[in-house]
Amino acid sequence: MPSLIQSARCIVSRSQLCPSQLPILDFLAPSALSIRQPSRLHSTIPPSAEPSNPPSRQNAEKSNKPPRRPLTEAQKDFLDSALRVNQAGELAATLIYTAQTPPIVRAHPHLRPLMKHMYDQEAGHFDYFNKLLAKHRVRPTAMYPIWQAAATALGWGTAIMGREAAMACTEAVETEIGEHYNEQLRVLLDWAEKLEKSGEGVSEEFAVLIKELRRIRDEELEHLDHAVEHDAKEAKPYELLTNVIRGGCRTAIWISERV
Amino acid sequence: MYQKGVFLRQPLWKQRSAYHSYEHPESPPFPPAESAILSASLSHVPDHGFTSTALKLGARDAGYPDVSTNLLPRGVYDLVNYHLVTQRLALRDALQFPSDAENGKPIGVGSKVRALTLARLRANAPIVHRWQEALAIMAQPGYVPASLAELARLADEIWFLAGDTSVDMSWYTKRATLSAVYSASEVFMTQDTSADFVDTERFLDARLADLTKVGGLIGALGEWVGYTGHSVVNVLRSKGVRI
Repeated sequence: MPSLIQSARCIVSRSQLCPSQLPILDFLAPSALSIRQPSRLHSTIPPSAEPSNPPSRQNAEKSNKPPRRPLTEAQKDFLDSALRVNQAGELAATLIYTAQTPPIVRAHPHLRPLMKHMYDQEAGHFDYFNKLLAKHRVRPTAMYPIWQAAATALGWGTAIMGREAAMACTEAVETEIGEHYNEQLRVLLDWAEKLEKSGEGVSEEFAVLIKELRRIRDEELEHLDHAVEHDAKEAKPYELLTNVIRGGCRTAIWISERV
Repeated sequence: MYQKGVFLRQPLWKQRSAYHSYEHPESPPFPPAESAILSASLSHVPDHGFTSTALKLGARDAGYPDVSTNLLPRGVYDLVNYHLVTQRLALRDALQFPSDAENGKPIGVGSKVRALTLARLRANAPIVHRWQEALAIMAQPGYVPASLAELARLADEIWFLAGDTSVDMSWYTKRATLSAVYSASEVFMTQDTSADFVDTERFLDARLADLTKVGGLIGALGEWVGYTGHSVVNVLRSKGVRI
């Protein structure tokens, strides 16, 4: 039920707050405005497939459903590396925004609410994955200090290059991250479907994980939209910058899944 | 897809079984027959040591022929490993920490780690006169990786049960240092002749105190470097440098 209300509110806010209606001096009263904008990148999964509240679960609990089976080694390995790489990604994201904010805000004060909004969301994601790692006994990536240094350098470097470069960095990073979350969701939804079919029902932890991953994915793609709104495509040299950053992201994901 | 990514990984130094689920049960660590033979064999260890004799007697007790011990791929190491794994898993139920609400004052993670480490050391007490044999078996080159992995799993178990939730680089340093402290205490215990292993307890406390001292020093140093770095950047920014 809360998810219904939330999505309804989201539709309303998206339809009412077209960018053309936004006052230009939005930095004077940042809290009075929602900075949601119509999404450009659409989800690969239709919302109807969401198993966050599968009706069969409630029914199954009353009837005598088959007992839960242990997770297979492959499933454990997948969850292990997926959660580890997500934590590393969110660590990098918070550090990129932390490093970008001072130079960007100094040069363009009207971007302060946007930077704060994106940072706050990333900090929330990071916190969520930190808790999840501790709870499910997943080890963090051994490259932790290296990602810290690399993310700070990337954020600071692009911010020094200017607003467009910083936004192009955000665009490149969030594109990779969005695709990465979608890949994870595809696997998890596949498992959820199989669990439903076998009559076991989706466990609460999977259902919550899928729901949270969707929310986080959508917020990352929202950042992508903000970046494009703020002239990410004007960055020079745009192609080189985004391709280098995207390649770096893919490499970092590949490494963090393993070590 | 994920298969491409995950199965490429070779378990070269796979530290521990991954992802711990709360709703999907864990599979038992040993198959039933193996478990029956090995647990029966363990009761012969005080008299016969970690030897094939103990394994044979155990198989006989469990109702299997003597040759069935040949099915254990690693022989006596499997017996040692069985002791290590079962005692590690038994830690979960060995100690019950009162919750913060009923205790009034919360128990620190440090004292929980101490209590759990001590409980694990004490679980070696019935066979401690034979433990040097086990250490010798574990130190054989072929078994060193498996033994170290099991030590890492024990350290992880202790930190997890103590309620530690750090998931940054300290995750690694905590487990590495606790592994070192535990193995040193374990070796010390094999030569401990004091009543109720009070000397081992003292030894463990001294090592843990060293750790806290060094850890505190490194933490303070890191804090100082971070603070100074931030200050320098902020002073430069206040002077109008565009960084």
